[in-house]
Amino acid sequence: MITLDHYLYLSAILFFIGVFGVLFRRNLIVILMSIELMLNAVNLSFIAFSRYTASMDGHVFAFFVMAVAAAEAGIGLAILVMLFRNRRTVQADDLTLMRD
Amino acid sequence: MEAVAFYIIAAIAVFGALLMITRRNPLAGAFSLVVSLIALAGIYAMLRAELIFILQILVYAGAIMVLVIFTIMLLNLREEELEEPPAGKIKTLIILAAVAFGCYGIIKVLSGAPDEVPRVPENFGSVEKVGELMLTSYLYPFEIISVVLLVAIVGVVLLAKKVI
Amino acid sequence: MANVESLRYFLPELLLTALVLAVFLVDLGLKRKKVPIATLMVVGLLVSLYAVLKTPGAEGVTLFLGMVSLDPFSVFFKVIFIVTAVLVTLFSMESDEVEEKNFGEYMGFIAATTLGAVLLASSNHMLMAFLTLELVSVPCYVLAGYISRSRRSSEASLKYVIFGAASSGLMVYGISLLFGVTGSLSFEGIRDALSAGNPGEIIVLISLIFILAGLGYKIAVFPFHMWCPDVYEGAPTPITAFLSVGPKAAGFAVLVRMLHVAFSSSDGAAAYLTDISSVDWPFLVAIISAATMTIGNLLAINQSNIKRLLAYSSIAHAGYLLMGVVALSQLGTQALLFYFVVYLLMNLGAFLVVLNFRSQTRSEQIGDYTGLAWRSPIGAFVAVSMAIFLFSLTGIPPFGGFIGKVYLFASIIQGERFIWLAIVAIANSVISLYYYARIIKVMFLRGIDAEDLGGFVSSPTTITLLTILAVGTAVSGIFWGPIARWVSHSASLFFG
Repeated sequence: MITLDHYLYLSAILFFIGVFGVLFRRNLIVILMSIELMLNAVNLSFIAFSRYTASMDGHVFAFFVMAVAAAEAGIGLAILVMLFRNRRTVQADDLTLMRD
Repeated sequence: MEAVAFYIIAAIAVFGALLMITRRNPLAGAFSLVVSLIALAGIYAMLRAELIFILQILVYAGAIMVLVIFTIMLLNLREEELEEPPAGKIKTLIILAAVAFGCYGIIKVLSGAPDEVPRVPENFGSVEKVGELMLTSYLYPFEIISVVLLVAIVGVVLLAKKVI
Repeated sequence: MANVESLRYFLPELLLTALVLAVFLVDLGLKRKKVPIATLMVVGLLVSLYAVLKTPGAEGVTLFLGMVSLDPFSVFFKVIFIVTAVLVTLFSMESDEVEEKNFGEYMGFIAATTLGAVLLASSNHMLMAFLTLELVSVPCYVLAGYISRSRRSSEASLKYVIFGAASSGLMVYGISLLFGVTGSLSFEGIRDALSAGNPGEIIVLISLIFILAGLGYKIAVFPFHMWCPDVYEGAPTPITAFLSVGPKAAGFAVLVRMLHVAFSSSDGAAAYLTDISSVDWPFLVAIISAATMTIGNLLAINQSNIKRLLAYSSIAHAGYLLMGVVALSQLGTQALLFYFVVYLLMNLGAFLVVLNFRSQTRSEQIGDYTGLAWRSPIGAFVAVSMAIFLFSLTGIPPFGGFIGKVYLFASIIQGERFIWLAIVAIANSVISLYYYARIIKVMFLRGIDAEDLGGFVSSPTTITLLTILAVGTAVSGIFWGPIARWVSHSASLFFG
């Protein structure tokens, strides 16, 4: 018997894998992909809550999260391309022009 | 039967996600993420979210990931540019503590979640029903997202173009 | 109110949307574009400001089936955002960092951010709060990286987008958990569910922490402030000025509305709200407030780059402003709004001086400000205005910043629960005097031969703007009655 808990556990696990990726990895492309994974975990929790409260508001929210994820991915990758042209790097550790 | 399907799909999703954050090569990571995203689409189908299931495959696994893979190809990174230094000990501890706190909270709350699945009409989550909601109650955010996307498109062109 | 009927009350936002499109389109057809586009921007913004002030129903209606609420509180913030955008447009004309080539896109993004901020201040629904927060953020990412050939600018922009996307991911996860336990996304719906029963204390706490993470990033509070100094230093100076006022005020507007409407209710006493969420969030916010002002002020002491110093100072100010949220009273909200009026004047003023100095000397180092007051009569004028802004930022009478701080302290002391926060804030004001006074001392130092540096000049526009901002800063510290009346009208809707 699969309950709401199962879906929320899966969502939490995926979300924290994404958080892990953002905090641990230094490759900026992987960090951006980890953020996408976080947003997917959010969508899963919205859809699961929607199913178990029998309202479709969560579906609509998930739709908007997808649209925003697309916008953010586009902007993030464009900035990455611009950075790569200027600096020839995709590593977060190389972003050290400004320091205290 | 439902349980078996859930566990198989969930395992694929988690496995893909773990591969994504551990692969050194971002291209391998991107393909693992696609696997994970498609598995999630399967979960959406189990939850009767028809529209989101379609969009997950078309928009997420399709369009967004193609964009990511395309960018990786465009940058054409060499092997030595992928080297990453290992994370420091203190940082690891802080991150693990934060993650443990988060997981504890989530597990704590889940004990109170309702178990029974409510009955929903046949067309719950269908394109028709969600679309209707989106063009009535949520019409206004639907219009706002167009401005967000417009700004994002112009921004991408401005940032990524070479000096013309 | 239903969708179509709402349009009548929605004119300012429609005008701003039209302005965004018009600026993008006009840009395509022009060769020399700075003057026409800036004119279009200023006219468009002023027309929508007029529309904001003339829109009927400003006494509190909800539009678009509860998505947006139009009330004196949102009108107040709309005025703040539009005035900021007008000033930043004029700043951009004065700056040498903003090229003619992409001027249309640049102005379009400022207009889009303003549109997002206007919508954010009036959103009454979690979905709207999330979407419009993105509408504020996305153009800001681009603006921070606007100087595409500058390595610092692209680095700033990338840090901004990574932090921003990750924290909006946290926020939306918090919203999803809150949706799960309350079954609602509108602020009133969440309040009703929270006051009806106790749906899982820990999960409300976790979702609140996640939501605060998303908003805390936008207003740059500890521990989500790390992006702020780098972005402020790397971005073009007019954009730094814009980021330090516009998006920050937008973040505060939605934070106040969310916490006051969704997580608290007025409990008999008219001037106070009570926390209903069974989570002690005022305590949480008080801790964040104390940590933010302390970190901001301590790190500001050792800065040699003036934009970086002002970035830390703006972090510290976010800490002070949070005191108005912690108080959870009518006086607290009034103090917050009052401080924003003064903060707009003094912070934009300080950045205008930085911009002017940069365009003259190509330097952002505090050391290079040495002897500014003695280099020419205009240099003296600029140095005196900068001194007014910095004294006001410190909170020294008779300037506006002093009255603002008095209001904030008074609201905390009146609340009686967080007296220690007022003490921390007073100690912080003393620390801040040290680094603000250092800049003033340097400017009035007569150590070196001023002849060698050459005369310091400013354009007439800069002088006019500086005069307006400096006089505003000084006058708001002496005749604060009209502002106080305006903010008390704007803050009243959550109470009583």
